[in-house]
Amino acid sequence: MTKVKNRIRRLRFDHDEMTQQELANRAGCTRQTIIALEQGKYVPSIELAFGIAKAFGVTLEEVFQYEEST
Amino acid sequence: MAPLQKRALYGLAFGVVWAVAIIVVFIVKGGVSTFSEDQGFRLIIDGLWVGGLIFYGILMLTLRKQSQVDERDRLILGRAPVVQLWAVIFSLVIWTIVLTESYWDQGIPPIFMYLVFMSTLIVSAVAQSIGILIGYWRMGRND
Repeated sequence: MTKVKNRIRRLRFDHDEMTQQELANRAGCTRQTIIALEQGKYVPSIELAFGIAKAFGVTLEEVFQYEEST
Repeated sequence: MAPLQKRALYGLAFGVVWAVAIIVVFIVKGGVSTFSEDQGFRLIIDGLWVGGLIFYGILMLTLRKQSQVDERDRLILGRAPVVQLWAVIFSLVIWTIVLTESYWDQGIPPIFMYLVFMSTLIVSAVAQSIGILIGYWRMGRND
């Protein structure tokens, strides 16, 4: 699994249960990419990461967190 | 399933049917010796592979227009030529070994240049679809 974690699923539910398709449309990617992100199987580019944060109206850090290996 | 993945699946399915159709017609009509003598046979094969190539191109263009491609798809698309390159090299190695061993004493008939070129184009088209599907599979495994 990737070291970059995200709260996309949580944030979607906090935003009136926004659908994956709706988020994908707002962020400018496909629904399959949102699925891959939620499953931790893909790390987005900075551009897409900002797009997702903007779609939720939050900062980048509120969506993505880097997990330091100990 | 991502639109690009669907496109690759259609491409692979068509590519396999296309290749099998050419091979079957080639064998049924008599193989290499008949091919070099019978112009009608050559025209059938020409029609099959040029027609197939045009159909494949139209299919891919139509599906491309219908499907959204994002950065993840582009990443996978960018890696697919590696599979394509290896498949083409592998098919050329096979052709080289088989032709060299079969025609060592007599010299390779020029008709094989045509067959090698035709098969390389088909292998290249099919391998691109395989490369895309491998890309999605690997990304799904998250390595």
